[in-house]
Amino acid sequence: MAAASPPRQRRIYRLPEGHEFRTVTEQVAAIPLHYPQRLRWWLGFIGSSLLLGLLIVSAAYLFSEGIGVWGNTIPVNWGIAISNTVWFIGIGHAGTFISALLLLTQQHWRNSLNRFAEAMTLLAATCAASYPLFHLGRPFFFYWVVPYPNTMALWPQFRSPLVWDFFAFATYITVSLIFWYIGLVPDLAAVRDRATRRLPQVLFGIFALGWRGSAVHWERWRRAYLLVAVVALPLVVSVHSGVSLLFAVGQIPGWHTTVFPPYFVLGAVFSGFAVVIMIAITLRHAFRLYDLVTRRHLELLGLWLLATGWMTAYGYLADAFMAWYSGDSFERGTLLDRLAGPFWPIYWGAVICNFVPLQALWFPRPRRSSFVLFVIAFLVTVGMWFERYMLVISGLFRDFLPSSWGGYVPTFWDWGIFFGLIGFFLFFFFLFVRFLPAVSMFEIKEAVWEEEHDT
Amino acid sequence: MAQIFHPGADTRLRLAMVALGGGLVLLFVAGDRFFGSDWFTGRGDHPAQPVPFSHQHHVAGLGIDCRYCHDQVERTATAGYPPTYTCMSCHSQIWTGAPVLAPVRASLAHDEPIRWQKVYDLPDFVYFDHAIHLKGGVGCSTCHGRVDRMPITAQAAPLTMGWCLSCHRDPAPHLRDPADLFAMDWQPGPDQRQKGEARMARLGIEPARLQNCYTCHR
Amino acid sequence: MTGRPEREIAALRAQLQGERGPRLWRSLEEIAESPAFARVLGAEFGGFALPEAGRRDVLRAMAASILLAGLPGCGKGPPDAVLPRVADPADDPPPDRPRQYATAVTFEGFARPVLATTYAGRPVKLEGNPDHPASRGATDAFTQAAVLELYDPDRSQSPTLLGKESGWDQAVQAMVTARRDWLRNGGEGVRLLVEPTTSPTFRRQIEALRQQLPQLRLHAFEPVGKERREAAARLAFGRPLALRYALEHAAVVVSLEDDLLGPGPAQVDHALGWSARRRGGHDAGAEAIRLHVAESTPTLTGAMADTRRIVPSARIPALVAVLAAALGRDGAPAAPELSADERGFVSSWASELRAHRGEALLAVGAHQPPEVQALALRVNAQLGQLGRTLLASEPVVWPGAEAAGTLQELVADMAAGRVQALVVLGANPAYTAPGDLDFTAALQKVPWRLHAGLHRDETAGFCHWHLPLAHPLESWSDARTVDGTATILQPTVRPLFGGRSVHEVVALLAGDPWARDREIVRATWRDRLDDDAWRAALRQGFVPGTAAAPVGDLAPSPAPIGLPPAGGDRGLEVVIRPDPSIWDGRFANCAWLQELPKPLTKLTWDNVLLVSPALAAERGLATGDVARITLGDRELRGPVWVQPGQAAHTVTAHLGYGRKRIGRVGQGIGYDAYAFRASTKPWLGTGAEIAATGDRHELATTQPHHRMDEYRPVRLVAPGKALEARPEEENQASLYPDWDYPEIAWAMVIDLDLCIGCNACVLACQAENNVPSVGKHEIGMGREMHWLRVDAYHDGDPLDPSFYFQPVPCMHCEKAPCEVGCPVNAAVHTPDGLNAQVYNRCVGTRTCSSYCPYKVRRFNWFEYAKPAEPIVAAHYNPEVTVRARGVMEKCTYCIQRIARARIDAALEDRPLKGSDVITACAAVCPTTAIRFGDRNDGASEVARAQKSPRHYGLLEELGVRPRTTYLARIADQGEKGEG
Repeated sequence: MAAASPPRQRRIYRLPEGHEFRTVTEQVAAIPLHYPQRLRWWLGFIGSSLLLGLLIVSAAYLFSEGIGVWGNTIPVNWGIAISNTVWFIGIGHAGTFISALLLLTQQHWRNSLNRFAEAMTLLAATCAASYPLFHLGRPFFFYWVVPYPNTMALWPQFRSPLVWDFFAFATYITVSLIFWYIGLVPDLAAVRDRATRRLPQVLFGIFALGWRGSAVHWERWRRAYLLVAVVALPLVVSVHSGVSLLFAVGQIPGWHTTVFPPYFVLGAVFSGFAVVIMIAITLRHAFRLYDLVTRRHLELLGLWLLATGWMTAYGYLADAFMAWYSGDSFERGTLLDRLAGPFWPIYWGAVICNFVPLQALWFPRPRRSSFVLFVIAFLVTVGMWFERYMLVISGLFRDFLPSSWGGYVPTFWDWGIFFGLIGFFLFFFFLFVRFLPAVSMFEIKEAVWEEEHDT
Repeated sequence: MAQIFHPGADTRLRLAMVALGGGLVLLFVAGDRFFGSDWFTGRGDHPAQPVPFSHQHHVAGLGIDCRYCHDQVERTATAGYPPTYTCMSCHSQIWTGAPVLAPVRASLAHDEPIRWQKVYDLPDFVYFDHAIHLKGGVGCSTCHGRVDRMPITAQAAPLTMGWCLSCHRDPAPHLRDPADLFAMDWQPGPDQRQKGEARMARLGIEPARLQNCYTCHR
Repeated sequence: MTGRPEREIAALRAQLQGERGPRLWRSLEEIAESPAFARVLGAEFGGFALPEAGRRDVLRAMAASILLAGLPGCGKGPPDAVLPRVADPADDPPPDRPRQYATAVTFEGFARPVLATTYAGRPVKLEGNPDHPASRGATDAFTQAAVLELYDPDRSQSPTLLGKESGWDQAVQAMVTARRDWLRNGGEGVRLLVEPTTSPTFRRQIEALRQQLPQLRLHAFEPVGKERREAAARLAFGRPLALRYALEHAAVVVSLEDDLLGPGPAQVDHALGWSARRRGGHDAGAEAIRLHVAESTPTLTGAMADTRRIVPSARIPALVAVLAAALGRDGAPAAPELSADERGFVSSWASELRAHRGEALLAVGAHQPPEVQALALRVNAQLGQLGRTLLASEPVVWPGAEAAGTLQELVADMAAGRVQALVVLGANPAYTAPGDLDFTAALQKVPWRLHAGLHRDETAGFCHWHLPLAHPLESWSDARTVDGTATILQPTVRPLFGGRSVHEVVALLAGDPWARDREIVRATWRDRLDDDAWRAALRQGFVPGTAAAPVGDLAPSPAPIGLPPAGGDRGLEVVIRPDPSIWDGRFANCAWLQELPKPLTKLTWDNVLLVSPALAAERGLATGDVARITLGDRELRGPVWVQPGQAAHTVTAHLGYGRKRIGRVGQGIGYDAYAFRASTKPWLGTGAEIAATGDRHELATTQPHHRMDEYRPVRLVAPGKALEARPEEENQASLYPDWDYPEIAWAMVIDLDLCIGCNACVLACQAENNVPSVGKHEIGMGREMHWLRVDAYHDGDPLDPSFYFQPVPCMHCEKAPCEVGCPVNAAVHTPDGLNAQVYNRCVGTRTCSSYCPYKVRRFNWFEYAKPAEPIVAAHYNPEVTVRARGVMEKCTYCIQRIARARIDAALEDRPLKGSDVITACAAVCPTTAIRFGDRNDGASEVARAQKSPRHYGLLEELGVRPRTTYLARIADQGEKGEG
């Protein structure tokens, strides 16, 4: 491993000489065992529980009354339900990207981030996957999308991108879960061994699967970890490409273009990194993990954000260029509608939030300032939400025949589900931070060790 | 410090995991069985009727033709339930005082229909047509079973979509000659497939169209 | 499905009759529980796919929470009860087969001959009577809606006395006593207010009644009507006449505000004639019909005109005078001054008319002053049109002016206390009387008032007695079409709500409460029709040889005709028109018609004040602003609609809305233009002012955008030219293999040159396919459910645009995006080329609709199909599934008709032919613009139309290969044509 690591990499971790490893373990394991920030945690947890309540109410009302309670119409059959699916699954991307891709490319600084990034991935992907169910006209028949032997002797319609997406989502969530759990095992063991009370001992013990840290364990673990990483790698590309095809396959102007798969994937990683940055900075300050999530981390994340941001910007340009270059009057019409039509604030909101503040990251000082970085990341997250909204709604509301043009206004229940799902995300993230090692201890140790023997 | 788990824990854990995996598979299989089961499809159900009418007695015993009572079966979508009038055409002569037939006599007396319970009840979005099935050569017993052996009429087929399709996708084994349509004891002969296919060719029956959704759903 | 719903409905009726007042509805619910009713509504409808009860629901609930492998879509509900009939069914047809009765419904007294399709005693669909000369299978939109009107639960349910539920026995009692006083003085002070009718029986009864009561006076009132045209006939020819246009013989028609093709009793008649001629013009050589229109507010006629000129309504008399002077020989008044522009087109039209003597027609709107119309009639006579394009015959409508007094006279007498008893038959003057008459105040002075009608309407509210009338589909009667041909109306179902036919009510007045309408009608025809002839007449739906006798050798009375004084041209003019969807308000409680997009605005559930873009800019008005119109001391508040093609200083108001008492659907929406109407000038008010009030009013339209952009969905060709194919129109390559259609390939071709945008197809489709109506709010959101929509576009200068109509059903693409998008195989391609939509398989992802370039798919956002009252569900067509919530639906080319035809063909051992099937929209189209058939059969109309040089497909360049295609509109405005 060490041999393969990149030469003369600048040091990331600065830990007290001598007992680096103990400090790491103590700092991280302290969180689940004797929890430092009880008050703040409770406040945040109750807040998110309220939002979760909103989700339950909205969903109950939706299922009892029907999709009509949303703002969807003909022609805008798909409202923010679908645009949010795209948004959530996009956020979910950074997890796998950081875990798998950076692992295989030996970017050790990732080791401080992958744990909670993966947790974020799981939750975001779950939100994304649940949205299509809410949006079905007859949700109780959702399983007809799944191929299984049935008394109707029918299969799904395999040409449909929805069926592809079902597989993509299912695979993605499963693999991410496995990957995340495998990564957790050694740390669960570490927490188990530090636990003093019986209950945590048993619980962590069970999920640690009897890990004793023997060489055999480590050898097998390493093999499994890399193996799953290799499996997960294509998913980084496949999932969001699949989602993009849901649109690109339709002949609707503004959808029917070949740039969509890369465009979506890059946008996804972009938004994902933004959310990772927000979480990283929050945890760093909440639990004073300054030694584990260092300024260097923030800087690297900033650079990634800048890079993926520009790739996304390229997507915008390509999209607009093709609309003009195709000479197709409908494509041009849709482009003009986006620039100056009823939804112009959405389009320009996306452009401004995504790319303008981003440029500050060219300079080192904003990159190192957690505050500036946090603001930029937040704006990007919002900007990407605008973008998804723009892609879905402004594609549909005016397609071909002037006679079938329409409009779209989300109702309270649209928003109820959306913020409810954000609540769902936060709710479980709070639980994760509270009860699991939010940062990967042993991997940081590994990184530290390698750094020291590297310099 | 004391051990948290005793030595056997690992084994149990492994067993538990295996059980979990096996359980999922089992659930899947069980589900499949359940939804094909008679309890769910209603095969064998025989709702209680106002009059304990016995097809066995009337068909096997007295040899009455199906069409004597179900007189529209060759003309229309529904086979048609006999009017009280038809029952009374015999029962005004025989069993005139039988207590079991009281409801029939009452029906005629008060001009009140007899409230039979449906045995074959298809979902409302399924448009089944008796006449065209007979025309194509599907006999009564193919779907209704040996009615002549039913003291109380029961549902002889699962009536699942898969069951319908099994014939719509390959009708040949089930198509009879017009002469045999109402024969309760009809059995496919060794040359059934050829005969069936010949019939399909003669009537222009194409499975391609038979198994198209809009054949039954509108 | 064996049983006798007739009897069950009758039983239900009996129960209903027992009920009084508010209890009624509750008890209807109870009845709905009763098996009999469940049977009439449930088992009768093959179609209910609404969620079923029982095990299935439990499992659904489970399914929603966890994924259950192998769970089938449909399980088994509790078994239904079946009720076979008791008597020998030998005489009846199979109950699950439709039965058709040739009968008619009436509109402004005129018969609309129909074949009523009934299932087990329930009428569910009306087809035009193909054998009838005045229908040939076509009907208008109003006729299609009659079925829903029949099942309207807000219809009057029982006689009322002073608003309280009463019974027929009490009503009869009251009549007997009332008659005693009447007979004492020969009916002195007794007045009868009727709507003009064409029913011979009604006329016979009333005349008999007058024998009994010589002093009884008859008054006739029709809020829209044609009384001014009758007056014109008297002026021009000195005698009452029925006048009728024969457009099939016209080469040139100049219409001055006469909405020939627009809604009205003669619409179908005119559409048949116009289209026959217009279609003839499509073949090389034959001369088409040229239509020149001058009007103040856009109409369907103006939309289809070859030249359309915008003039204020008040200018029409002057134009007529000048035309008369140019064409006539004698008796024309001094021609007034015209503007240069007016002189230009008037003279050119005059010369065209002159050039086509014998096949020309000068038509003037029936709302214009009698003198003006008389002048035009005389011009036609002098051009020798009588008996050619202008048919004069003995009057068809009765009573005319000589037989009956007017509403004004009645009001005067009532106010003067000269009226002791008033009987209102069918009419609703409390709502429809012009505001300045103050009818209701006068009405209060009448000591004894009785009203008979379909609804407990405004007038019923002001009368002591109200009697429920039976619907035309429930009763025996007779009526005549515009050409006078008589039809015997026979009931298709027993009266649902215990109403009695108008004839029975008149018999009641005549002291014969036991007479039944069948005998009454039969008596009228006994001397003319023996029993065989009677049966034959019933079978074919009309009495042959009863067309009104033409009146030959009409000599135009030489008496000079003076024009009425032209209204002052300062201020605005307000023209009042019947509403294109609910007419004079009689259809206000019919949800189908309320939701029927008005032909040009596509507005639903409201009436508006049409103003021109110029006026809107001038007064700072925008569509949706509530404006106030003041004219003298009268004032009118209503939402503004900016209508291109409207005369600059003309405001159009529509009748029919603002109803206070009709039913849950129709009351309390829109403004009441009757209150604003003046009895002396009912159609035109001059010198008005309009001002914004600052309020806004939500308007629900199905088509917010009417301008054609650079892409032209409606394509035009200059006459005789061929449509040059767009470059992209060669079929693009496709990833998917082509379908082959070995047997039949259904296709539809819609001729945009014949479509007059009359909406008949929209309602025919709605009635045939159980399409629900969704209400104003849902329409406003863009959730209308019509499977077939008629797009209305305008093009060119917004002040003087051209109008185009384009019916858009499902295109049934061969490379259908919807089929690719659907994840569960609910949108599938059939071997005969349809895109079938399988409702019970649909899970509602709406991908199909997102991918559909034509946006013809409709989604059940809520449980739209669930009827407000159980009885309403009785109009559902049992051959078509009623769609549940969360399911996508769309045009199916009337797949139930195809399936039925296929089965029938197989049963009769013959191959299915394209001609065996006709869709509801094609069947009803009065101009045969919609053609449907087998594309593979080269001889079929469709196949031939597809070879036409005007043939094109909508959005062909997408490569979806639509099989609903169009024939381009012929427009000789070269600059507007593409060619």
